Amino acid sequence: MKGVATYMYRDFIRWIRYRVGVISALVLPAAWLLFVGLALPVTFTGNYLDFITPGILVMTILTAGISSGSLLMFDKILGFLNKFLAMPVPRESILVSKILFISVRGLIQATIIIVLAVLIGATMMNPLQYGLVYLILFLFGVFISAFSTTVALYLDDHDSFAAFTAMVTMPLFFTSSALMPYDAMPGWLATIARVNPLSFAIDAIRDVGAGGVPVVPILLLFVFTAVVVVMAGYVFRKVTV
Amino acid sequence: MTAILTEGLTKKFGNLCAVDSLDLSIEKEIFGLLGPNGSGKTTTVLMLTTLLAQTKGSASICGHDTLLAPEKVRDCISYVPQDMAVDTNLTGRENMLVFARLYGISDPKDKVDELLAVMELSDRADDLAKTYSGGMRRRLELAEALVHEPEVVFLDEPTIGLDVAARRSIWNHIRKMTKKGMTIFMTTHYMDEADQYCDRVGIISHGKVAAMGTPQELKSRLMKDVVTVTLEGEYHPVMLEGAVFVGESEGTVSFTAGNGREALPLLADALKQAGNCVKAMSLREPSLDDVFLQSVGKQEEPKGFEEWKFRMMLHRRN
Repeated sequence: MKGVATYMYRDFIRWIRYRVGVISALVLPAAWLLFVGLALPVTFTGNYLDFITPGILVMTILTAGISSGSLLMFDKILGFLNKFLAMPVPRESILVSKILFISVRGLIQATIIIVLAVLIGATMMNPLQYGLVYLILFLFGVFISAFSTTVALYLDDHDSFAAFTAMVTMPLFFTSSALMPYDAMPGWLATIARVNPLSFAIDAIRDVGAGGVPVVPILLLFVFTAVVVVMAGYVFRKVTV
Repeated sequence: MTAILTEGLTKKFGNLCAVDSLDLSIEKEIFGLLGPNGSGKTTTVLMLTTLLAQTKGSASICGHDTLLAPEKVRDCISYVPQDMAVDTNLTGRENMLVFARLYGISDPKDKVDELLAVMELSDRADDLAKTYSGGMRRRLELAEALVHEPEVVFLDEPTIGLDVAARRSIWNHIRKMTKKGMTIFMTTHYMDEADQYCDRVGIISHGKVAAMGTPQELKSRLMKDVVTVTLEGEYHPVMLEGAVFVGESEGTVSFTAGNGREALPLLADALKQAGNCVKAMSLREPSLDDVFLQSVGKQEEPKGFEEWKFRMMLHRRN
């Protein structure tokens, strides 16, 4: 779509120049990997690093994506959005560029984690498996950033949005299958974890790691993502016309 | 083709009428929309730039209807909001390139260089925009707005918050733009600037046009000049065509005149002939401030404030 690449270029340069943001985006997941992956005394699996890496990958995409709504929100608050909307570029390309930028940025962070995990002892996978992992992470990234953007468009002020992301991120992570398998959880937690969208992506990646090809989960993830993207598009059009 | 044409343009937020049956016809000139805060200026600009749909009436830019052919409208306009939206972590050149690419300019680099030179930003083009002064950021925004050679440029408070020199420089650039045949539609609070630089102004109050015309016309139509004379001794009455005696108090006499500059010497002669001893005369021309105050009247702060309406307006505006 016309304009998408340019909007992405703008966001990318802004991100790179804001160095603290780049460093923080890389340090946080690395810290999880080192302190939780290596330090936790775990008995339910042989290589805990192999078990927790998918969880940390998905968490990284989650934290990167959930705040993506604020990108569009700040463009709106600072007056950029009105400028862009008064241009002949298709308006939807603003939304598409934000979602893509956040997803691609998440994948860059994911790459660092994958490299780090292998360096400290996780099992190396073959290229096809990595391809599948990236596909799952990308779909999940689009899902989360489209969801976050929809909420941001709806809430319309930054404080409410910050409160919303803080409220969603941590509970979502701890009630997923990121840290332990279902049979090691108390019953009530396992029930919640099974319907948590995070577990969905994490389980699919673990399946890939175990040598399987999770066709059904990937297709379902694709459908969910499509639904949320359409929703975001609808709200975006409603707010901007 | 009229650059900006509106017929009965109306916008309501709930039962608050922000813009009420606005009729405008603007062509290759600098048109200034003046009005107190909350009078509907920004709402009007948003409707004309296809950012807000009107409740009633129609608007067209260069012959394209804003509701029926918004893409065509966006092709021939530029909109510079008052927020100073410049990416401060990008250089001036990078900011420009984003706009040039978005507009699909065939040779973005050359066009950017050319406009940076026009706006006198060439030597600072590769510095981050956060190091720019307010005036430079505004010029950068003007340069961005000119990238696709628009026919109509909308400027919302283009000189707000700038120092005198920066304001003058912005105005000189805006003047140059009209010389190339562009139509400028702007809003401002600075009456002196509107008086000096606008070809025509419209004053709106509560969403309605209270006065419209050239600044000169408005001043002479709404107000007369005031001539004050200080006398030594007693006042001997004079009769003079074009000057009306207003009153006398403690040695000063005042007259109003349709054209004070012309009336002044005639009045001086007439007073002398009648045997008056004139010590001093002063002439006060009406300013656009006077016109503004007279046509807008005393402004009331909104009473019975309804929060939902306010939220609705904010929601729509941002």
